[in-house]
Amino acid sequence: MLQAQVYTPDQVAQILQLNKNTVYELIKRGEIIAKKIGKVFRVPAISLSFTTTGLDNDLYVAERQDLKLQPMIKKELSRARKAL
Amino acid sequence: MRPIGVFLDSDVIISSLLSSTGAAYLLIHDKKIDKYISNFSVQEIKIVAKRLKINSAKIEKLVKKLNIVTIKKPFQKNCVADSNNSHIVNGAITTKSKFLLTYNLKHFKSEKIKRDWNVLVYRPAQFLQYLRSLD
Repeated sequence: MLQAQVYTPDQVAQILQLNKNTVYELIKRGEIIAKKIGKVFRVPAISLSFTTTGLDNDLYVAERQDLKLQPMIKKELSRARKAL
Repeated sequence: MRPIGVFLDSDVIISSLLSSTGAAYLLIHDKKIDKYISNFSVQEIKIVAKRLKINSAKIEKLVKKLNIVTIKKPFQKNCVADSNNSHIVNGAITTKSKFLLTYNLKHFKSEKIKRDWNVLVYRPAQFLQYLRSLD
């Protein structure tokens, strides 16, 4: 069975410790990305990545890109610094 | 809003040259940020870039977008785990930057740098997240 990866606005309010109306306001302003299904909203877990990574999802993905390069950069930078 | 001054470790510069989808690239191309490096950084960036076969014209173009400060030895060595990184701390102090951005957090004694020099040591994405909190 698929694991739930979406939240109701009520659950989001609990996770972020916000008032439910604030959550609806944030959805309306586009600060929380949600999907309207019929008359209700569902918020994907990815919209709340800040709660687990400290970063918005786009920044988290961008950071992962850079982190992949770091072992190679670190090695070369360390060599250069010793030589200078 | 006045641009915020940040001093960049060379790993951030090199990362921005290697990936156009990474956080370092986003940071380098953000016009709200005053970016500083030192004369020492320029030297090491050129050495590393050559070893990693990064086009030298690309480096020159990028370096022109940055503020370069001249620093002299001796450097503060009590703020780093590895003395080879000490010029980065000196650069941040000299430029009076509020932030030092690096991918090498482990090599800097962040608490001491914050306490002694009022400089916050962050990764690029953490700093970009901070900027969003100011909007």
